[in-house]
Amino acid sequence: MEKKFLVHAKQDSVGVAVADIDSGEEVEGTLMDSGGKVSLRSQDAVPLGHKIALAAIKKGEKVVEYGEPIGVATENIQKGAHVHVHNISSLRWGKASR
Amino acid sequence: MGEGFEMTKILGYERENGRIGVRNHVLIIPLDDLSNSAATGVESLIEGTRAIPHPYGRLQFGPDLELMFKTLAGFGRNPNVASAVVIGIEQNWTQEIADRIAKTGKQVEALGIEGSGDLKTVEKASRIAKKMVQDASEKRRREYDLSSLTISTKCGESDTTSGLASNPTVGVLYDRLVAEGSTLLLGETSELTGAERYIAEKMATPALKAKFQKMFDDYQKEIARQGADLFGSQPTQGNIKGGLSTIEEKALGNIQKAGKSKFVDALDYAEEPTKKGLNYMNTSSAAAECVTLFAAAGAAVHVFTTGQGNIIGNPIVPVVKVSANPKTVATMPEHIDLDITGLLRFEYDLDEAADRLYKLLVKTASGRLTANEVLRHFEFAPTKLYISA
Repeated sequence: MEKKFLVHAKQDSVGVAVADIDSGEEVEGTLMDSGGKVSLRSQDAVPLGHKIALAAIKKGEKVVEYGEPIGVATENIQKGAHVHVHNISSLRWGKASR
Repeated sequence: MGEGFEMTKILGYERENGRIGVRNHVLIIPLDDLSNSAATGVESLIEGTRAIPHPYGRLQFGPDLELMFKTLAGFGRNPNVASAVVIGIEQNWTQEIADRIAKTGKQVEALGIEGSGDLKTVEKASRIAKKMVQDASEKRRREYDLSSLTISTKCGESDTTSGLASNPTVGVLYDRLVAEGSTLLLGETSELTGAERYIAEKMATPALKAKFQKMFDDYQKEIARQGADLFGSQPTQGNIKGGLSTIEEKALGNIQKAGKSKFVDALDYAEEPTKKGLNYMNTSSAAAECVTLFAAAGAAVHVFTTGQGNIIGNPIVPVVKVSANPKTVATMPEHIDLDITGLLRFEYDLDEAADRLYKLLVKTASGRLTANEVLRHFEFAPTKLYISA
């Protein structure tokens, strides 16, 4: 299995692709704080630098990266899905556009 | 630890006030937009001069005028500048800039255009600049510690590779430079949104923490006063293409550059640091504006991390560009000074990447030209606080 994503902190609900990930690919990730491994099957194509869901995230739940909330899910997100502006939104700015 | 950390000496220029610079520019400073023609005229006639044209300097007032003075004089005062000629339409403000530069002990002349016209002014300024260039060319580089420099950092066209790799590399570098006694600058107030707590908690004293918090809160209030928020501007379209989804995510990546050190001061725009160690400066997050403010505060070298490929430079400060994004390094190689894409391929760790960056800083400070210098990216972008009178 290819090492294709990194996870900043163990509490995180997303990992970051360090190479392009195809839809349906079995991929492995490394936890940056502990060196631990996680593996999952991608549900979408996730380009390098984009985020992949490590677990299912319900609409309205906070999305966590760096051990911190980076936004809120605007729809239900499946494990292995591409996580980006189409399904999460800032908690600070852009409330008017939601 | 790599061998680079024994090689802590650079070849720099010592200025009259003891500050160490890494370049030897003769700067032609237009006080105002009207004087750009004369300043660039001198630059085209006299080899070894550099002009910094800009659209401001007329009818500014209050804190906005003071910041413009600080920016223009700060460029003349920067240790990368050997000497300077200031040209303005009127004599009084022109002389004010020259007087502030003269306090460093370096040679500076002020010329007003009114009563002479452009051509006589260009001739007079060119004769002065010719002598300055020849005098500057006599100056020899000598050995100093890298830690004698003021160094600044900022990220631009960031993406998630910035937060994963290039910004944490700067964080490791900054921790080492703090330990060696460098003076370091970090800013980007708007791009702390969502991570401001981490910066506030790293302020060395409660008073500094309060000072920083006020800078941050004042900025947020200013956005609210405009009846706006920064959604659509932050993150930028480039950030989003690179995978950054929200300002919080961008900010959490941004602050990785700060490393683990405490902040010893929280400075106003373009304010010269007086304390060694990590200094916060209130700045815009727009690349050219931010680097201009750091240069005006005396930074000798700037470390710029980029994900999607920001191509910014500065007229007097070499901007060392670092990227960990393999697509950017492949498609825009002429702009990138240090490729650390190996971090994302697990080929080496952050310490090794920081070691490579440290070595490149030593080379750059000793005279190696950066991509921005060779490609003539000399963006001078003074920050304007509000509309002129």
